[in-house]
Amino acid sequence: MTQTFELFSDLFALRNNALSRRDPRAKLLACVAATVAAGLSTRVHLPLAVMAVAMGGMLLVRVPVRLIVARLLPPLGIVALLGLLRTFLIGSTPLGQVALGSWTLTATQEGFHEGVLLLARVLGAVSALILLSLTTPAHRVFAALRWLRVPQVWVETAMLMYRYVFLLLDQTADIFAAQRARLGYAGAARSLRSMGTLGGAVLQRAFDQADRAHEAMMARGYRGEIPFGTLGPTPAGDMLLLGAVLALLAVGLALGEGWLA
Amino acid sequence: MHISEGILPVGWAGAWLLVALPFLAWGIRQIKRRGQTEPRYRAFVALVGAAVFIISCMPIPVPTAGTCSHPCGTGLAAILIGPGPTVVVASIALLLQALFMAHGGLTTLGGNIVSMGVVGALVGFGAFRLLRGAGASVAVAAFAAGALSDWATYATTSAELALALHGGGSLWSLLGAIMMAFVPTQLPLGIFEGILSVGACRFVSSRRPELVERLLARSSG
Repeated sequence: MTQTFELFSDLFALRNNALSRRDPRAKLLACVAATVAAGLSTRVHLPLAVMAVAMGGMLLVRVPVRLIVARLLPPLGIVALLGLLRTFLIGSTPLGQVALGSWTLTATQEGFHEGVLLLARVLGAVSALILLSLTTPAHRVFAALRWLRVPQVWVETAMLMYRYVFLLLDQTADIFAAQRARLGYAGAARSLRSMGTLGGAVLQRAFDQADRAHEAMMARGYRGEIPFGTLGPTPAGDMLLLGAVLALLAVGLALGEGWLA
Repeated sequence: MHISEGILPVGWAGAWLLVALPFLAWGIRQIKRRGQTEPRYRAFVALVGAAVFIISCMPIPVPTAGTCSHPCGTGLAAILIGPGPTVVVASIALLLQALFMAHGGLTTLGGNIVSMGVVGALVGFGAFRLLRGAGASVAVAAFAAGALSDWATYATTSAELALALHGGGSLWSLLGAIMMAFVPTQLPLGIFEGILSVGACRFVSSRRPELVERLLARSSG
């Protein structure tokens, strides 16, 4: 639970640095453009360049390498699996053979190339996403989404959910620690029972908290809508930066795909 | 198993987003309408969403794979708040996980909403309602909702991956391979998720029976 809190929290995004001060709309659009460009690329160069720039940005604002690795690792498991499956299931030009008991699996050049491309795309796109999340606090992302005309009900629910996750995480961690201290996770059967109880306890706390939260919101003037802080016009410098990022991505994509040849 | 950023080609990512949008609009309309008659409803939905988010972060040991996985939580959420609002809270949970934990992604949001939010919620809710209608106990119905929604989510994710990535190869052989690769993890995980749903429903109904009655009445409305 503590690890989840560390990973999920936007504490790093709240620090004051060159990237956190940039306009959230510009950063969100640049991030989406970078992930789309990485996804459109049929060569590894552009996705890896996106990854290098994102990593450079993260190191520039002194994000701990441990946190970057922790966020980068989860997607790599599924990518490794899909890369392997593609290597052995797609293509016709043999690259090598692997004997598995009585079976012989043939790796192909086309499949291997596809697997490596997939890995590069994921590394590039995920790095851009991590850079956005480590330099943009959640409330600024929500404000940007509202500015982009995402429905108010959705954004309001998202803001409330984000707030409540931390409240409930604290309480869940307390119950979990108490269960462990009473050997609630000794053996598979007890673990399952404890896990069910923990799930139920979290829900019950959520129901109780919902009533209290509503009363607190009413006391603060809530009448069915949460007022959003307005985002001012995007600063000219940030617009220029966004324009430069979009132009670089477009040129990189055009060069990589041979559209200019 | 969320589909990570960069895995789906842009065309497929856009197509799944288009599939997800009507269900999101349906859920948003339900929350909006109910919020007008029940002022506490929005805070309630958000808190159930937050609870489900936390439950979906719980590591569950998977002995056959020698690793840990996590439940989806959408079957349980669908029992508590109905399938429409579950699509909305699942989409929010997926966005938060993509942004702040690098689980899933922005461009793959549509695909993940369809598998976890839409299919998971509808299958979980459908199983629960069907079994309750047939006279099954809350425990049996909750188990089926948890387990079936989990398996349906992973089957849909596998289909999305195979459709997008089979390239020049056979769709069916890639789909079969992906599903086989996840069976050792997901088969027991679905059972665990079913047990978790039963445990959660039992705990709440033993401590707050009036709440379960209210929730069951709500989700059927």
